[in-house]
Amino acid sequence: MKSVPKLIRRFLGIMLLSTVLLLILNFILLVVVTASQAPNGYPWITAGETSQALRQTESGSYELPDAIASELEESHAWAILIDNETMQVVWQTDNLPQTVPLSYSISDIANLTRGYIDGYPTFTGEAENGLVVLGYPKDSFWKHMWPSWDYDLIANLPKTVLSVFVINIVFIFIIYCFANFGLLKSVKPIVSGIQRLPTKEAVTVRERGLLSELAASINKTSEILQSQSRQLQKKENARANWIAGVSHDIRTPLSMVMGYAGQLENDKRLPEEDRQKATVIVKQSKRMRNLINNLNLASKLEYNMQPVRMEKQNVIAIVRQIVVDFINMDIEDKYPINWETDEAQSVCFAEVDKDLLKRAVTNLIQNSINHNEGGCHIYIRIMKEEERCAIIVSDDGTGATDVQIECLNNSPHYMVCDENTLEQRHGLGLLIVKQIMEAHHGWLTIDHSQYGGFQAVLYLPVIRNY
Amino acid sequence: MKFDYLKRKRILLVDDEQAILDMVLSILHEDGFQNIATAKSVKEAVELSEAYRPELAILDVMLPDGSGFALMEVLKSKADYPVLFLTARGEDDDKFRGFGLGADDYMVKPFLPKELLFRIHAILRRSYKAENPFVKLADSEIDFDRAEVIRNGEHISLTAKEYDILTALYRNAGRIVTIDALCEAAWGDNPFGYENSLMAHIRRIREKVEVNPSRPVSLITIKGLGYKLIVEENGS
Repeated sequence: MKSVPKLIRRFLGIMLLSTVLLLILNFILLVVVTASQAPNGYPWITAGETSQALRQTESGSYELPDAIASELEESHAWAILIDNETMQVVWQTDNLPQTVPLSYSISDIANLTRGYIDGYPTFTGEAENGLVVLGYPKDSFWKHMWPSWDYDLIANLPKTVLSVFVINIVFIFIIYCFANFGLLKSVKPIVSGIQRLPTKEAVTVRERGLLSELAASINKTSEILQSQSRQLQKKENARANWIAGVSHDIRTPLSMVMGYAGQLENDKRLPEEDRQKATVIVKQSKRMRNLINNLNLASKLEYNMQPVRMEKQNVIAIVRQIVVDFINMDIEDKYPINWETDEAQSVCFAEVDKDLLKRAVTNLIQNSINHNEGGCHIYIRIMKEEERCAIIVSDDGTGATDVQIECLNNSPHYMVCDENTLEQRHGLGLLIVKQIMEAHHGWLTIDHSQYGGFQAVLYLPVIRNY
Repeated sequence: MKFDYLKRKRILLVDDEQAILDMVLSILHEDGFQNIATAKSVKEAVELSEAYRPELAILDVMLPDGSGFALMEVLKSKADYPVLFLTARGEDDDKFRGFGLGADDYMVKPFLPKELLFRIHAILRRSYKAENPFVKLADSEIDFDRAEVIRNGEHISLTAKEYDILTALYRNAGRIVTIDALCEAAWGDNPFGYENSLMAHIRRIREKVEVNPSRPVSLITIKGLGYKLIVEENGS
């Protein structure tokens, strides 16, 4: 589950970025809105300008320049000038409402400065010898002149802003975690379910939460995969069982053929010619027996139904026993076997399935016998190299052509070949040897022998330190 | 014949197929076995064994009313005698089961008469050797009962290791026994690095059984592979 921290990092990054972007966006909006309000936004400035522009003529009356007058008119504002000495209104615009008093006390001045006159928001500007008061239409401005701040509040403002910012981020993070915990919790089993799908095991994800539909389709997919692999397994089992069944059913009748032919072969009362015929029957029955054994094992190895029991074994002892079994059985001495292994070499340990390795070596020796009807010498040699053990089975028989050897080394056997071909039909024996070597992480090579015949070499990885 | 006493052993043969029974009977009769009883089911075999008291059982694995393994357990619970399985199932797990329960050997059908007879002789010789302890070699006799060799009237005793090695060779008389199998017989499982000791023991055995130990006629070396004991009048 390496992807989950990555996912969290990504989410977090996006969230922080969007927070910052949001702040910037808000700031920009604020500026834009404020700027658009600006024309009405400066009544204090207008009041200041009015007070500066108001001039006393020589006749003692007051005069406002047209520009300012029209600006006031546009914003429907009125103006008065209160004299410093008399506290009386000495000048006024024409649109002054009737309700506005014409005489003021000091407290009135203070009130109007920070508030209203009869509901009209008022703004003041200092003129040469009086106070100019602008009155804007009712409900055109809010006036709040009360606020005042503790000194430290403003002084610490940068720090305060920063900590507010940090608190905000922490708060947002906590909200994010709470919000996403649920999501992650429901994503996690789905991710692990998907990851388990290719392993061929049955996957069941609880169909709950936000992603229950996704979980349901994972479960369904797993079900389909499982049933497919079950069906495949069933098919392969059926095929292997069929082969096992056929070979089992052939064994009993073949026993009779072999048993009676064997008796006839050794019956001294029979004429030599008949005994020869019995010998042929025995020989062919033996071939059939080998074929059945090989067919059964090959199909089992092909469909992984043959349990492989790996154990530390002395390869030399195993091969020596096989050779001795062959010598003990070969009464006519038609196929003498020469043990060429170095006498000093008495152990060679490897992890092997004893029965399977026996079968592989037996098949190679049997191969030499089968392909040399007239008899031949067979040479067995075991060589221990750095990391492997080579079992060399060679003979001085008829051998094979270069093309045949090339074909044996490289072409697939018809039993495991998906093309319908008749050209690669060589015996099952070598296929089994190849399969057995694969199960042992070893391999088989086929070549001409130095004795003039056929040579097969089994390479097995050995256990080191021996 | 030296091994005539083995031919008189009572053999119980169990297989559900009449044709197989007939064939094995014929093979055994031809080889000189005289006492053979046959049964076609577990029930029949159990009943028969009560009165017949077999000394060797040859059992099929698949019987109509049970498995040969179960039958062996029943038979062995009453009396201890060797059991050889004949089966049409070549699978390895059967083999392991058979040996694990105390089967003495196992043969997969089909088989040649000489293969079957060799196994039967080997089992009988192993199981009943005490009944005829004298084994005749070219120059001497081995008395397995007293663990000694008799040559020219002289009694020479065998050491424990020599006895073990000779027993293993005698069990497979006339056939090569590998160096590894002999080491295992003398020193137990996983005997590695005993080849030189084995050679020394073989030399000492030869000094006891052979007239001319440097030119052995009874205990033969098969170079690189093992040894073979030649028994006079080999019954197998």
